[in-house]
Order: sequence, then C-alpha cells, then structure tokens
Amino acid sequence: MVSDSIANASAANSAPNARDFAKKKRANRSAKLKQCKLDARREQWLSQVKNKGSGEDSRGESRQQSGGGHQSLENLETRRRRDDENGSVHQDSDSESPSVSPIGLTGVLSGNHSSGNCTGSSSSCSSGSSTGCFSGSTTEEEEGGDDGCLDDWEAVADALAADEEPQNPPFDPPPEGETVGGVQSRGEHGKKLVVPDNSRSECVKRPPRTASANNQAWRPDDAFRPQSLPNLSKQYSFPNTNRHYGGGAIPWGCSKAISVPSSCPICFEDLDKTDSSFLPCLCGFRLCLFCHKRILEEDGRCPGCRKPYEHECSEAEPSLLEGSLTFRLTRSHSMITRA
Amino acid sequence: MQTSRARLFKEYKEVQREKGADPDIQLVCDDSNIFKWTALIKGPSETPFEGGVFQLAFAIPEQYPLQPPQVRFLTKIFHPNVHFKTGEICLDILKNAWSPAWTLQSVCRAIIALMAHPEPDSPLNCDSGNLLRSGDVRGYQSMASMYTRLAAMPKKG
Repeated sequence: MVSDSIANASAANSAPNARDFAKKKRANRSAKLKQCKLDARREQWLSQVKNKGSGEDSRGESRQQSGGGHQSLENLETRRRRDDENGSVHQDSDSESPSVSPIGLTGVLSGNHSSGNCTGSSSSCSSGSSTGCFSGSTTEEEEGGDDGCLDDWEAVADALAADEEPQNPPFDPPPEGETVGGVQSRGEHGKKLVVPDNSRSECVKRPPRTASANNQAWRPDDAFRPQSLPNLSKQYSFPNTNRHYGGGAIPWGCSKAISVPSSCPICFEDLDKTDSSFLPCLCGFRLCLFCHKRILEEDGRCPGCRKPYEHECSEAEPSLLEGSLTFRLTRSHSMITRA
Repeated sequence: MQTSRARLFKEYKEVQREKGADPDIQLVCDDSNIFKWTALIKGPSETPFEGGVFQLAFAIPEQYPLQPPQVRFLTKIFHPNVHFKTGEICLDILKNAWSPAWTLQSVCRAIIALMAHPEPDSPLNCDSGNLLRSGDVRGYQSMASMYTRLAAMPKKG
C-alpha cells in the first residue's frame, strides 16, 4: 500500500493532495475487490463445470458453489422424468444426464456433422437402457429403445412448444430455460438427421407407432405433443414427396393417352400446374404454354384438331399473348419456390 | 434447336423402350446425328407391297416438331404418291396437315397406311396414278408387286 501510494504520488507529481491519495486508494481497493469477486465467481463456475463433468456420483457431497440453480434444474428434470417413466429407467437417466450433458453439448455443436461425437456421448451413457435407446433409434425398437425415443421426442416437443416454431425444430437453437435432457436429446436428434435413408423413414414412422405401443408418454396433460410430432414427420416427408413427384412424371408415355397428360405432347416436357390447367382449344388438346406460344408464332393451329386457335385471328391476340406471358412468369415463380 | 433436340431425344428413348411394340416399324437414329433417322417398314398385307421391307430416310428440321420431318423412300417403290426416282412422298401430314403432336413413329404408321390406300388424284408417280385412275387395278398391282420383289425383298438364289 505504501509503495503504491508513493508510486501514485510520483505519478501524480504536481499537487499530492491528501484527498487525492485517499480517493486513489479507495479506487484501488475497490478494483482489487472487484477482481477478487470475479476470481471467486470464475472459480465457482469452473468447479460447477468440473462437477458436472466428473460425474454425478459426487452430487451428494456437492460443492457449495455449484448449489442452487443447477441443483434445482436437476430436480425439475427428475420430477419431469419421474412423471413419464418407470422407476428404474428414470433412475438411470437421472444419474446420467448431468454426466452426459457436457458431451451432449459439444455434440450439439458439432454433432450434426460428425457422428463420432454422438457415439461418444452414447458410450458415456453406460447403462443398458440408454444405449438401447441409441441402437433403437437406428435399427430396432426394444423396450429401452422405446423409452429413450419417447424421451427424445418429448424433449423435442417441449422445445417446440417453447419455441412455438414447429416448422424446423432440428435447426432451432434451444431455448435458454431448456433442461439438460432436452439438450442431450437434441444431440441424438442431430445424429438421426445424419443417418441415411432407411432410418430416416423410420423417423417418420416412429411417432405414431410408439404412441400406440407405449402410451405412457402422451398423457392428457401432454395433449400438445401429438400436434407437433406430425409436423415433424411432415417435414421429414417433404423431400420424399418431392422425389415422388419427380419420379412419377418421368414415365410420360404411360399417361400421355387420354385425360390430362403429364407431359406436353409437343416437347415431352412435364406439364406443371399452370400448364395442366391451360386449355387453349375446344378440342381439349393440351400442351405446355411454351409450345403454345411457339405455335401461335408460326401457323397458330391447334395440334390436336388442326383448326386455328380461336383467339388468334381476332383482336384478342395481343392480350392472349400477354396472358401467356404472365402465365409463364407465374410458372417460373412457382418453379423457384419449389426449388 | 434445343427444343427439337430434346424432343428427338425423348422420342429416341421412347423408341428404345417400345422396341418391338409395332413389328412393322423399326426406327433407327443415326449414330452421330439425332436429326437423321432411318426407318424400315414392312409392306402392309393384302397389298402388292406385302413381304417387302422399305427403307425410309428422315431428315428432321431444326424447327421440329413445329415443322414436319422430311421423309423419302430409299427403297424403290411403285406407288402413285411416291416419286419413283427421288422417293419423295406426297402425304398431307408431311406438308400442310402436319401437327406437332405427330411423332416419327406416327409418321411411319401414316406412310404404311398410305401404301395400303393410295391417292391417285394427287400423284407423284403419274404412271402409277394413271393406271389406278383408269381403273386398271390389276395392272397397278402387278407393277407394284414386281417392283416390290425387285427392290424390297432379299434376293433369292
């Protein structure tokens, strides 16, 4: 202190007021105090993390600092799980979830890309039920697998309800108040996104099946869950349906015959919605707007009946051309939105 | 250009897919040029062309299918609507009655139908047309079948 004050005096140099000294001393002290507090807090935080990481066996002897919020969080979660699950499984997950959580967190950060992280977290869930959950998510659904999956879906549904954004749950950041279990399950979820097709289709199928097999999870008070789960499955099935459309339109020859062809008989390109609702001639011959425009530019006769298109000779032609132009615009727009 | 190529490619795939669906028509695309096709068609039964195999050459314009393909016989044929020397075909659907909805396959079918039902009133082969118009069906048939044997059948012994 003395040397400090001397230094201060030499620094101040000109008019070493006593009050100035006092002020500076006070400032120094307060700064040191602040530093101390910060250090203490950091230590506390570090120990908290360490406590989480080193496993929950030491929860009983629990360090003081880690106390309050963490503990209550866990309690909250255990209560929630106790609601939903049997004693034994719940015990497992209870004792595990904190130990998993740090890995699960990192798994969330990188898990979407590297399945290694996810398997790491799965191996850290040492008990049979939770490993069963992982194998169940990819291959078969055993008892434990069901439980784990339900747990998973519940957490996702919770996150959904909290987010109120059911559109793309896997990509939403978790809400702040979300429990550790939620984070962990999101890690698993990311893994599921990674696994290839067959298991993905299983993902689509699973929610209703588990609902029928094990109705423990969806209680009357969980009424919002079945609403959000179908949304999820719907989202998963979107690319599939798109693929179906694309595939179904290819064999044009089969459906070219009578009613509404799936492809333009002139250029053999697929008819989109605008095209298939476009009926330029009374004879019922359909074609795409592109070919129609080209025909109008040339001889203007319907390819089906070889009669000139009715609107063509009259003054309505420019308006028709404009109409086809706007049709074309909307068509391209729809293509963009589809892509 | 692009449209015609795409369309011809689709037709080619269709031809490959339905190979043998119509045993009377065999459409082959040129190996290096999708705008050149050749077709082998069988002469329809109960006509003087029965038993013969006639070769057609297709030259497809870039405006196809808005413009009709140009088709001519490579095999000599005695028919009122086919030019005896050039093989040019007088067929309305290859001229003003063309519709973009037609395909090369349907053109071949139309030509087979034309072989069975000549139109002597718009002849390209006047001798043949005159025989029919004068009512000499037997003369027409014997001339046509002779040329079929000479030109459209494999040589025997």
